[in-house]
Amino acid sequence: MLNTFQQAPHPMLPKASHDEAARQEFTKSFKGFIQSTLLPGLTPVYTARVSKAFERETGRTPQGRRDIRQGMVKDLYFQHYAAMNRVAQELLWESVVVSVDRQLPELNARAQELAASTQAKLDIPEGFSPPRYVTALDIHCMPGGYCSEIEPQDISVGALYDRGVYLYSMGYTGPDNDDMGRSVCNYLKRHMPDFKPRRILDMGCTVGHSTLPYKELFPDAEVWGIDVGGPVVRYAHARAAGMGLEVNFAQMNAEETSFPDDHFDLVVSHILLHETSGKAMPRVFAEAHRVLAPGGLMIHADLPPFDLMDPFTQFILDNETWYNNEPFWGAMREMDQFALAEKAGFDRAAARFDTAPMAVMEFAGGHDGYSQSAAEGVAEREFTAGEFAPGGGWEVFIARKAEEKALAA
Amino acid sequence: MTDDTRPHMIRDARGKRPDFYPTEGLDHAMSMIMVLANELSVLHDRLDSAERVAKAQGMDLAAGIEALVLDQDALEAREAWRQDFLARLFYLARKDASEAAQAETDDDFRSTIEDIAVN
Repeated sequence: MLNTFQQAPHPMLPKASHDEAARQEFTKSFKGFIQSTLLPGLTPVYTARVSKAFERETGRTPQGRRDIRQGMVKDLYFQHYAAMNRVAQELLWESVVVSVDRQLPELNARAQELAASTQAKLDIPEGFSPPRYVTALDIHCMPGGYCSEIEPQDISVGALYDRGVYLYSMGYTGPDNDDMGRSVCNYLKRHMPDFKPRRILDMGCTVGHSTLPYKELFPDAEVWGIDVGGPVVRYAHARAAGMGLEVNFAQMNAEETSFPDDHFDLVVSHILLHETSGKAMPRVFAEAHRVLAPGGLMIHADLPPFDLMDPFTQFILDNETWYNNEPFWGAMREMDQFALAEKAGFDRAAARFDTAPMAVMEFAGGHDGYSQSAAEGVAEREFTAGEFAPGGGWEVFIARKAEEKALAA
Repeated sequence: MTDDTRPHMIRDARGKRPDFYPTEGLDHAMSMIMVLANELSVLHDRLDSAERVAKAQGMDLAAGIEALVLDQDALEAREAWRQDFLARLFYLARKDASEAAQAETDDDFRSTIEDIAVN
């Protein structure tokens, strides 16, 4: 497949010069090359070389993902694979930082104009303190992380994330980077056609990529996106205004929001949970339960748990923990989400994992570079650890808050 | 050149960078090779763009390139471009110095992962 996907312009998106665009396009191609061409070589290298060397050295076969890792890190093929993955990630951010930095004063000014043009709320409280699990390391090696502000009213890391994550996902998530939200919306349309939420909360929304499809599907609903990063919600608010959608944003921690009890009919998150922590994740479930109205739905689209995967697959996926500043990536996959949901107050029988098929085919033919063959190439893949996004669809964890019980007589 | 009169974006990600190769310096060398490959690809695209634009306008680009003489502005623009290029080429040296300045260590990185898994 020749990946020709191109991000759709919108008023807040940084504009790359010819050479900046070419530099960025190369990092996208490089990531695609690593996943399509270097990644498959890891399996024969492990089977033919590394597992045998491990047995010779230790007198036993490698057992779990930690044993596999111990053997693989000594092998030159793996060293090249892992090093190139890291370099591709660094080149990607570098190529976008340079471009955003060049036009930063204009981008900040445009964000303020767009913010003033909309009725949608933007709530950035004084003295907000983001949690340590997002500030201790710059997650996925994005310089500055989600929270760094280099000047007042700054949106720089929001612009960086918008363009950078498009390259990271190689356009698989669509011209507006919104495939995850769009996929969950499609899932709701297909499975619950009568569901009409009045208020919707997107937890950990960053720049609102996945938040906006909910406003498109439910135009009468009051939609809120929250995130711990001030610059990213500021950017999200301006981006939504620029795209003509009235969506509210706030800097807030999903562990402890300021919304009243029973307020939302739908609480969603997309790739949020794996960027929290062992203590925060149960609190996010509990908070979702608190703010949900009786009968309301909680849907988290994130990484599937390790327990259904073989150790080699686990090993490949866990590389993100070690090499891409994703400290909770591995540990999150060992959390029992059913137990967490039950502890948060959801009925265990009303919780399940399901698959929300990718929406990428919807873009085929109608957007720059989204040719029929390229879109099919993404949609029709089997799940392969180490590739971006499973072809079949996103793993979603769904739980429903119980209807109000009749008062005891 | 960088404009020093306004704030600029953070260039390096916080968190100790792992070494992938046991040979000292090879991580830096491989990253430089890939930066060079990146710029080669940019150049290829630019030349390709130029040739396509010229062709569409019926212009003999090759003869014009051979006849070109660089003036002072052109010399300065090219030197500034090369200095910017070198700064990108040595991004790992910058990261290394930044880790040294921030005193980031492997032990800190490991203890952060352990701590965040439970806290």
